[in-house]
Amino acid sequence: MAPNSVRQIATVAKYELLKYLRGRRLLAIVLLTIIISAIFLIVPPAIGSQYPKDPTQFTVNVLSFLGILSILSATFFGADAIVSEYESKTGYFLFPNPIRKTAIFVGKFIASALVSVGAIALYYVIAVVSVRVIDGSIPANTGLSFAYSLVYLFAILAIAYLFSAIMRSSVYSLVLTFFTFFLILPIIDAVGSVAKFKPWFSITFANGISQYVFDNPYPTDKIFTTAAPGASGVGVQTYSLAQYYPEVRLSLIVMAVYFIVAFVLSIFLAQRREM
Amino acid sequence: MEPITIEHLSKKYGEYVAVNDLSLTVERGVCVGYLGPNGAGKTTTIKVLTNLLRASSGKAYLNGVDVIHHPKAALDGVGAVVETPEFYPQLTPDECLSYVGTIRGMSGEAIADRSHAVLEQVKLLEVAGKRTGKFSKGMKQRLAIAQALLHEPSILILDEPTSGLDPRGMVEVREIIKGLIKTDITILMSSHLLYEVQEVCDKVAIIDRGVLQTYDSVANLSAGHDVTVTINTLEPITPPEFRAIKALHDITSVKRTETLALKVTFTGGPEAQFRVLRGILNTGVKVVSYMPLRAAIEDVYLQLVPEGEA
Repeated sequence: MAPNSVRQIATVAKYELLKYLRGRRLLAIVLLTIIISAIFLIVPPAIGSQYPKDPTQFTVNVLSFLGILSILSATFFGADAIVSEYESKTGYFLFPNPIRKTAIFVGKFIASALVSVGAIALYYVIAVVSVRVIDGSIPANTGLSFAYSLVYLFAILAIAYLFSAIMRSSVYSLVLTFFTFFLILPIIDAVGSVAKFKPWFSITFANGISQYVFDNPYPTDKIFTTAAPGASGVGVQTYSLAQYYPEVRLSLIVMAVYFIVAFVLSIFLAQRREM
Repeated sequence: MEPITIEHLSKKYGEYVAVNDLSLTVERGVCVGYLGPNGAGKTTTIKVLTNLLRASSGKAYLNGVDVIHHPKAALDGVGAVVETPEFYPQLTPDECLSYVGTIRGMSGEAIADRSHAVLEQVKLLEVAGKRTGKFSKGMKQRLAIAQALLHEPSILILDEPTSGLDPRGMVEVREIIKGLIKTDITILMSSHLLYEVQEVCDKVAIIDRGVLQTYDSVANLSAGHDVTVTINTLEPITPPEFRAIKALHDITSVKRTETLALKVTFTGGPEAQFRVLRGILNTGVKVVSYMPLRAAIEDVYLQLVPEGEA
């Protein structure tokens, strides 16, 4: 008799983790994490420069790569998790068993989340240990920043799963996931500064809280006015640009909503998908 | 309720009807060959039975459990090979079997024992610890059969199980299936190979354009259809021997093709085939081979499935 779904979820997660451990993607993420950390730590002394004196600023600098690391993790471990079962026909091995597709989905998601959290945690550990060794202190709110990063990670991982449940090709799903978070949403965020609308709904904008949480006091929205020569060099024309900062509570709600909606929708779609 | 019961099952893709109002019942311990040309609806039926596709209407039960609404419970005692499945390249056959065995609730000890047995059965024991990434199509097909047999299912659903296998592999898989038939297992097996079905199965279901054309025992379907056999002899057949063969019961025509060869056509199934052989031997002809030119089931198939569809 087939066991309950919780045990089956654990089984799926276990074998997904085994696949990741033996695959190249986890190795690539770990290597990238180590290389980027090394660049932040080795390059300043190598070129005769000094680390920022403010440990908080140094931490913020090191953690600036975190957004890309989260995007890469979501892409590598989420973007083709569902579609690959159909595209590479491994679903013919897994699906005709006494297991609900929901259990397969949740097991896969847990495995993806575990390896992604592992990568993010590794990066935080390297950053914190480096700051501690160099400066002898750990910036306040590091733990909070890590927690916010995980909320962001879970949200974009759920969206990556949603793409994976919708798309017919692994490559399209991988490309769509990467460019959505790396290019499309950041462009929308940037346009907000010029067009003077606050992109509070953008998940990449909301992710800013993991960086700004180090600022004391927490930054607030600003409108800058700059002057430039007018047309044909006659007179002076003023331009205004907005600098928006994500609000912590609203951003957490936005990311949570993205996570819940994407997760539920992708389970629904994965369950209905046919081979 | 019988182990496999399909009632008025239909599967539509927009306007296209892949399976149309199919009803089929497979009794316990019976092996059914599921035949039809490409696109007839064989794989679609099997995919509905194994929860890979949703039926548009109708019902399907496995061991009395509704597979459409309760797939987890329905697939509990079922082993299936659908198309040629791929395996996770990072995992070994042992790990693949352990994966599905754990999902099915087997104990670690049972998984180890059964994995050894089924991998030996499909001749993959030597590569049990090697990753499947570089396995050939035939090796993957063998592993697929192994995972289907792992939990000693009461129902086995096979979609072209010898597909991708070399001639030796095909014979071996047929032998495995024949061995299973001796047990109480119920088998539904789709195939393109009519001779294979006639050799292995008790009953045959022929489907065409989504509609079940016939469903009967191999013996009943063979009966009433002409079978032609080629007979090779050690010595030339004399005119009295030729006349004696022609006069045998069941025989409809005898044609000398070469000095040492005859083509004999008769009506009936395996029993008639045996009677004809015994009668020919009784005439004193020294028979060295007696080979059906094509399986009787082929005649039935060709009659039910119009030309140009396969």
